[in-house]
Amino acid sequence: MSNKHFKLPLFVLLATAGIFFTACNNDDDDGTAQENITTIQVHLTGAGIDQEFEWNDLDGIGGNNPVIDTIVVPANTGDIFSHIHVYDRSKTPEVDITDEIEAESLEHLITYAVAGANVNIAYDDTDSNGKPLGIKSIWTSTGASNGTLRIILYHEPSNKDNLSDPGGEVDFDVTFPVRIQ
Amino acid sequence: MSERFWLLSVAAVLGLAVALPAQDCHVALRGHVYDAETREPLAYATVRVAETSRGTMADENGYYVLPDHCEGATYTVSVAHVACEHFTQVVKLVENQAFDFWLSHVAHLQEITVLERAVAPTPVQASQEVSSSDLAAGQGVNITETMKKLPGVTSINTGATIAKPVIQGLHSNRIALINNQVALESQQWGSEHAPEIDPFTAGKITVLKGAAGVRYGVGAMGGAILIEPQPLREEAGWGGWVHGGVFSNGLSGVAAGAVDWKKDEGSLALRLQGTVKRSGNLRAPDYWLGNTGASEANLSVMTGWQNGPWRHDLSATTFNQKIGILRASHQGNLTDLMLAIEADTPRNNPNWFTYDIERPYQTVNHQTFQYRTALRLNEKWKFNGQYSLQYNERKEFDVVRKTSAGADKPQLLFDLWTNQVNLALEHFPIRHWQGGVGVQALQQKNTVGKGGLIPNYDTYGGSIWAMERWRKYPNPWEFEVGARYDYRYTNVFTTGNLVDVDTTLQFGNVSGTVGAVYHFNKAWSLSLHSGYAWRPPHVNELFAQGIHFGSGIYEQGRSDLRPEKALNTNLTLQWQTRRVYASLSVYRNNIQDFIYLEPQDELVLTVRGAFPAYFFDQDDAVLQGVDGSISFPVVGRLSVEGRVSLLRAYRMSRDSGENTDQKNWLPLMPSDRYQYGLKWRFGRDEQTVNSSESFVRLLASTTLEQTRLPQEGLLKPAPETFTVLALEVVHTFAVGKKSLEVGLNVQNLTNLRYREYLNFFRFYADEPGVNAGLRAKLTF
Repeated sequence: MSNKHFKLPLFVLLATAGIFFTACNNDDDDGTAQENITTIQVHLTGAGIDQEFEWNDLDGIGGNNPVIDTIVVPANTGDIFSHIHVYDRSKTPEVDITDEIEAESLEHLITYAVAGANVNIAYDDTDSNGKPLGIKSIWTSTGASNGTLRIILYHEPSNKDNLSDPGGEVDFDVTFPVRIQ
Repeated sequence: MSERFWLLSVAAVLGLAVALPAQDCHVALRGHVYDAETREPLAYATVRVAETSRGTMADENGYYVLPDHCEGATYTVSVAHVACEHFTQVVKLVENQAFDFWLSHVAHLQEITVLERAVAPTPVQASQEVSSSDLAAGQGVNITETMKKLPGVTSINTGATIAKPVIQGLHSNRIALINNQVALESQQWGSEHAPEIDPFTAGKITVLKGAAGVRYGVGAMGGAILIEPQPLREEAGWGGWVHGGVFSNGLSGVAAGAVDWKKDEGSLALRLQGTVKRSGNLRAPDYWLGNTGASEANLSVMTGWQNGPWRHDLSATTFNQKIGILRASHQGNLTDLMLAIEADTPRNNPNWFTYDIERPYQTVNHQTFQYRTALRLNEKWKFNGQYSLQYNERKEFDVVRKTSAGADKPQLLFDLWTNQVNLALEHFPIRHWQGGVGVQALQQKNTVGKGGLIPNYDTYGGSIWAMERWRKYPNPWEFEVGARYDYRYTNVFTTGNLVDVDTTLQFGNVSGTVGAVYHFNKAWSLSLHSGYAWRPPHVNELFAQGIHFGSGIYEQGRSDLRPEKALNTNLTLQWQTRRVYASLSVYRNNIQDFIYLEPQDELVLTVRGAFPAYFFDQDDAVLQGVDGSISFPVVGRLSVEGRVSLLRAYRMSRDSGENTDQKNWLPLMPSDRYQYGLKWRFGRDEQTVNSSESFVRLLASTTLEQTRLPQEGLLKPAPETFTVLALEVVHTFAVGKKSLEVGLNVQNLTNLRYREYLNFFRFYADEPGVNAGLRAKLTF
């Protein structure tokens, strides 16, 4: 009598529990993928220079402060070609995020804001709709000076025509010291 | 000695001063239970009303009281006693009439349904039960929504889709959610992590206010929410219900149902219950709230049976949810955040309707398996044992580049396994003392995917408790005393933030409770309750390191935090007559080493720009307030109801030099709120045995602007005072032998544009506009 009492509920419960618990373990998602931009590199070529300047925060948010190079540009140059590279160096091997930005050019915009330094920066690339992208740019300098350069990468901007407020959200927002000499 | 005993939760034992929900049905079902042979009063018989699922135990003189029943209604009353025949009778309740029952001894009954319940008495502390109509109205929304009509209870929200209950200003890790006697173990430290409980599994929800640590452990420092399912079917055969609901805002639909079955012979009973829910983008009065859809699918199986002296209960539940997070809330950096805050309408907002859920969103799966057993040892003592296993998996999907490695993966993953064992020895009144002792053990394994905010950890915990309650009817006094010791050992290893942590933490502390009730007469009672409870700092508070993008702040834990200790005192005056219900509670909660986020002077520089830094810190804090509730009839079937919740919460400054006139108010505390309404009851159908009421109710809720704010750290002024209206119409039809309950519920009737201080997304968007919900429930 009492055995009968046990069998059905036990069976139902164990079977159900089995389904529930195996179902969740069959999940193929073995981990997460969190983008972690650690490095923004400005690669300048032309006018006699070929140099990389980096903004690095290898231990991510918090912890040690970022290490930031000073961008040094000769005074009164002709065109200097700039190429931005974006890396995640917290992973091994490092992840080059630049390719993703180029591949989704419509959904990205890099803006440049110079303060104090006598350097002019013009876009040298466009997205597939002919709007600015900003991975490539052309720099020209005038007199010797000191200042800063703020580079912002926007993801999913809503208005690429308004470079001061394109909407979307910021993926990186870094400021380099700049010296024109 | 026959082991048959049918004991139900001793809620509302002898009409003690636990605050009961404000209802219009305030007639007590009362009387005596006698031995049919000896004509003597029979002590400790249990009396239960099937329609309301409420029960009590008669005292030594055989006297029982079940308050809050409706006059003129028909109830099925079951009476049972050790060694006596189970007895059921249908009564029609009449005011001022006692219902006496005569039970006869039966020598050897073998197969009578026996349902064992916990002996633990209802605590003396302030508690409130969610009324059945509020439960039914909130079930289609979420579990938190069902409780918001109780004074002192509100919610803390993350947008319109995530809500967590707040009891007298405390939430998350500081309150415990006890679902079918199992403490819910999930990522409750996060204020954007909603409880993983299907409201349709709840037959009854009780909120205990103030420290309830002795009974419910370290999680219950600020209170506990008890969610209990309907008891399994007691009559042989089939039964169940189906519920369907639709809501105009978000065009959401919900379907739920349960099938109950009990074997013809023997005690075996089984229930299968399921819920599915789907909703699209919600709409604020002036725009759509982009990406606020949600979907949910839950299933549970419960079974119970009696085997000789043993009672067994098994259950398994699965809860699965996907919740869209308001797209406009996702901020890249502080500049974005400031722009979003200044914007009148949300930026980056997909301003249209869709059921699709895009990033950012969360998925949550919660599985529970539990086995409970009870053994009646003798006339006085009973053993209870429970084992539970919970698995909680939470994934958070952030906005990412479509071609990145993360495009098909979550950005945060939390995995939590919990094993719990509870053993208790409980006894029925011995020299007027009733209570028990118990031990509990807990083991937890928490894994955080790469890149998580917090480290992985393993926790082991043990507890021992004892609790006793004295009541000698008709002595007007009632006392309660209890103590508990908890020990927690946690091994913390590695973090996702590229910093290695490998450390062990040990915390141990006592909890205590004392309470007294004085019954002036049948209507008036006064209760005083003091509880001392604690909680260890959570791994989040110790080791967090990262940015909360929704709030735009950098948070950092502090590894040397001490446990929080709370001393909570509550004085409640209650007046309950046939027509009037009123209760007033005054409370003060002194929390030593209260853990909070302290704004720092410097900014933290990250690749996304500079963020304001907040470090976890601790200081003594005081939370004090008043909760009041009243309902009384004005004329005929029209009654008035009102509720008030006031709270003052501040830090006690430890620095002696500081200006003591200026209080350091705690952030994110509920502002003062008032609810007031009119309720008109209409024709009760005498044919139906269902106790549901038929009524129309217009309820206004006024929430004042929070003016008691911390001096720093507020990016946007607290929202202004607002008053929202809600209209509710409920009627129950008899359809043959079945009953059909139909309800119409309109929230934010005037389509008011407002924002709520306790919503993290008040920075970005308004609260949802008018929402009409129509529901129907067929019980068969």
